[in-house]
Amino acid sequence: MENTAVRGLAVVDKLYQDYGCRARELKNQGRRVLGYLCALTPVEIITAAGFSPFRLKGSVHEPIIKADAHMETIVCPLIRSCFDLALKGRYDFLDGIVIPHSCDSLTRSYSTIRYTLGLPYSHFVNIPHSTKDISLEFLKAELDTFRRSLGRFVRREITDEDLVRSIQLHNENRAKVKELYELRKPEPPLMSGAEVIRTLVAAMSLPVEESSQLLSSVIEEVKGREKKLSGSPRIMVIGAQIDDDAFIRLIEESGANVVADSVCVGSREYFPEAKTTVSPLEALAERYLRGVNCPRTYREFTGPTYQDDLEARFGHIGRAIREFQVDGVILYILKYCDPFGFEVPARMKYLESLNVPVLHLEDEYSMASIARLRTRIQAFLEMIAK
Amino acid sequence: MDYFAGVDIGSTMTKVVIMGQEVIASVVRVTKPEQRRLAYLTMSEALREANLSFDELTYVVATGYGRINVPFADKQLTEISCHARGVTSLVPGTRTIIDIGGQDCKGIKVAGGRVVGFVMNDKCAAGTGRFLELTARALGVKLEEMGELALTSGNPVEISSTCTVFAQQEVVSKLAEGVALSDILAGLHQAIASRILSLVNRLGIEPEVVVTGGGAKNIGLVKALERKLGFPIVLPPDPLLTGALGAALLGRDLVEKAQKEGSFPTRQERRLEEVKFFA
Amino acid sequence: MAEQKWPDKYPIEGRRGRKYGTVAAMKVAPMVKAAIGGAVEAKRQGKAVAYCFIESIYDEIIRAMDIVPMWTENYAGICGAKRDAQRFIDKADSLGFSRSLCTYATCGLGFDAWREELGEMPPNAPWGGQVKPDVMLSSGQIICDPRNKWYQACQQFMPDVPVYNCAALWPLYEDDLDRHDVEAYYVKYITEDLRGLVRFLEEHLHRKMDWERLWEVIKLADETTDLHVECRELRKAVPTPMDTGDAMNTMVAQCFLMGTKEAYDFFKELRDELKYKVEHKLGVVPEEKYRLIWPGGLPSWFALTDFNYFWSKGAVFPVESTYHELVYSTKDLDLPQTDDPLEHLAWKWIRRQTYWWDKAKKRPGSEPDVEKLITWIEEYKIDGVVIHEAYSCRSWHVGLLWQVNQLSKIYRPIPVLTLKGGKKEVVYRELPSLVLESDMIDISSYSEAETRAKIDAFIETLESIKSRRVEV
Repeated sequence: MENTAVRGLAVVDKLYQDYGCRARELKNQGRRVLGYLCALTPVEIITAAGFSPFRLKGSVHEPIIKADAHMETIVCPLIRSCFDLALKGRYDFLDGIVIPHSCDSLTRSYSTIRYTLGLPYSHFVNIPHSTKDISLEFLKAELDTFRRSLGRFVRREITDEDLVRSIQLHNENRAKVKELYELRKPEPPLMSGAEVIRTLVAAMSLPVEESSQLLSSVIEEVKGREKKLSGSPRIMVIGAQIDDDAFIRLIEESGANVVADSVCVGSREYFPEAKTTVSPLEALAERYLRGVNCPRTYREFTGPTYQDDLEARFGHIGRAIREFQVDGVILYILKYCDPFGFEVPARMKYLESLNVPVLHLEDEYSMASIARLRTRIQAFLEMIAK
Repeated sequence: MDYFAGVDIGSTMTKVVIMGQEVIASVVRVTKPEQRRLAYLTMSEALREANLSFDELTYVVATGYGRINVPFADKQLTEISCHARGVTSLVPGTRTIIDIGGQDCKGIKVAGGRVVGFVMNDKCAAGTGRFLELTARALGVKLEEMGELALTSGNPVEISSTCTVFAQQEVVSKLAEGVALSDILAGLHQAIASRILSLVNRLGIEPEVVVTGGGAKNIGLVKALERKLGFPIVLPPDPLLTGALGAALLGRDLVEKAQKEGSFPTRQERRLEEVKFFA
Repeated sequence: MAEQKWPDKYPIEGRRGRKYGTVAAMKVAPMVKAAIGGAVEAKRQGKAVAYCFIESIYDEIIRAMDIVPMWTENYAGICGAKRDAQRFIDKADSLGFSRSLCTYATCGLGFDAWREELGEMPPNAPWGGQVKPDVMLSSGQIICDPRNKWYQACQQFMPDVPVYNCAALWPLYEDDLDRHDVEAYYVKYITEDLRGLVRFLEEHLHRKMDWERLWEVIKLADETTDLHVECRELRKAVPTPMDTGDAMNTMVAQCFLMGTKEAYDFFKELRDELKYKVEHKLGVVPEEKYRLIWPGGLPSWFALTDFNYFWSKGAVFPVESTYHELVYSTKDLDLPQTDDPLEHLAWKWIRRQTYWWDKAKKRPGSEPDVEKLITWIEEYKIDGVVIHEAYSCRSWHVGLLWQVNQLSKIYRPIPVLTLKGGKKEVVYRELPSLVLESDMIDISSYSEAETRAKIDAFIETLESIKSRRVEV
């Protein structure tokens, strides 16, 4: 950021409240902005092409007004909200949109989104479901198709060197987020879960270098804190794109600290790194197919027992629970979410095997349900209180 | 002597219980839009019944949908914790509680007197009192008589709609076809029982199963549930009061626990103030 | 062979009040029952049974290897048609599967969990029940998310049954993409994946693939598909000899029996029946007034009589998209020659899925699905569009609204005489469309009264447009 006088969480709040303000500024300065959704979008390729990647978010505070004329109501409510905000003009600074094969809701809405928004550029990255070696080979070719398509749009070749540099920048960015998360490990944590979500959301609207600078400034500020937060128990939130602090604040206001997560704007996106020891396309294919751990990706049954399979699929949650000393897990799934929806019993079974109490919530991505959520969260906290 | 009060503001009923070692007063009123005023009135009535003044209450716990509208409470706890506490005090072997309220339905799993799991449905009318209320109206039957009438059926008819709007259409057309009213009612109760059980089954249903809330007063529904479960259900004597009772008991538990540790749980600076309409 | 005598009046009365437009469609129910019962019997005899999804890429492979398929979507559809899916969906709910998920899957999962708990079929299981398989063959990818996750979820109750997840994908249409640029690596991936599938089946089911036999089955399947195309083309006639109501039955031969002689014979007979009807100008209904298209989406299996309701108003559906995703004439696909049957299957798959690309590129604003609609609207002389939004299926229903909206934007074929500022003017209107809403098998989402009211209103719209239509 140019202005160094205002840093850290103050900047986070500005970027969070007025989401997209920096992207709009950049656009006015002649920089190109490419919108995307989902942790499976290969942002490294977007950065390598000279775009600022901008992750779309929805709004839990605004009812859906314009989307219903174009998009079915059975679509994931988060995607509908993002689309609705786009229709309302919030994202009119976008030069294009890129979506990966995340789920049916997004894949089947691709035509709707691109025709209705009428952006100059759009692309769909066909990430396979299974993690076999042949899938990796396919994905390399598919990523190359994307690279060449973007290259045609910006009228220059995106070279392997461009990709290598971009991978480096994004890996550094991810390392910053991991550093930020370390601040959540102490008891009590140095940062509230709400602050972390706001920081992550602010970061996902920025070009990668600015995102890293922002994260550094936040880490610096929080490390130097005197104020201690009170309250226990320590909660981990598992879900998809939680891009508003309302839900996290609700948990924390009910008397807990959200200290860990497995969400799309958080650890799911940032923890896996791209290798630097192989060719860039190989590294990216590997990261997006096997690195990012998301229910839409089909991880082959390794066995021999079902419990072993659960460990292979969800072991990262068990590790987080141990590392962050988690007392309880809240599984926050949106209605109409197929990838997570089919996995709920398996996830519950896995957590049961760790003797960790779980609260499973199915919600609609809207503040209208806040009273219902409050009761459940409060009851859960009462239940696990010692 | 310490006295404890539990205030349960549900979506359809407001209840207050006052107890010392035993319950000395209990009041049930229909919830109206001005929850604060009603909370005040119901508490005042309960105090009169108990022959106590407000300041003689050691601890007040509020619960239910409207628990944030009880300014004179020391603590708010969810109806899940309160129902569990209230029911287990009345039925010692309780493992599963099914609370069928006016606008929601809950399942609570209990072990060792503590809540170990819960499920709720407060979004969809299927499986709640509202479903029955609306279909009763569509059929021209009094809500209180529905259950008994259903029991007279020998041949319950299959009702496929769980959406209240569609169900109303369905029952009206079945009535027009000449299907017996009791058979339709029995079918409705079966459909609701299925819906309730598929929700509560997420917890794993174990006896003793206790049904509370307004639904407990509907004998047709209780019998339908029993038939599907294959074993009898326990009904507490005052199914509407279990939440308020549990709230009072939890207040007492908190105070007793704190007194053992030589302290007192946090209390609000609270007064029972009359609340006027749009004062 | 003796001449088949076809009835000279249609529709024909079937069982339980359902009417049929063809004799062939009436034969289907016992065929399905035999298939389900066949799987139960096969299991009893120790034969290999696989859970399968329809319109996947492995029909020929399993037939060539004598594997008995258990079509899990089909079984759920039967439970739905018999109005006995609710208890299985309830069971899935109690296990933690949301009611907003694909109801085929929740019905199947509920059934399987119950069967495994009991150690035998649930009481009064429709048509003998769904057997426990030896393997499960997923094929999610671009087709459908539940297909990616369903069998994985089954493993919670059947951890000893292995799953193979097929790479049945295709490229999405892009303005700046020529399908020829990407076909090669898609085909390579799919071919290798099919090779993996064959190895998986050989290993887990203790048998070897007979490659000669596979080529024979492929040849039979391709000829069967060509017959099916012929049948579809015959429906262009006015009056139409067969409509979507029947197609929801005849799809069984396409989707559950592809690669078998039974399917080949079925479509041959259906072709002959339709030829007879066209020659003798026998339509599905005595007086055909409106011709409609069903652009996609699954029907309500418990309410197929809704098609009969359309018929009672003189409205018929000469063509539908659903279950025709793979029905293209083999020579049209212009497949590259190959000695590798798996590569042949991969090419067939990709070419079928990108069939409409080239045509779509020629019309601004068009996309393959929309281009197909326009082509068929013209070829089948269509007056209106009906879509059914099944609430639990995002895979096949999200995007239908867009298709219909885009169609109305770029295709306005109906000349209507209107008054504009006192002057008579010909204005071109889009086809009217109707949106029905419920689900494939969850009957609690359906209201017959409301559905019929919507249909009535739509018929009035069609009639009013017909009466104002002019010749130009």
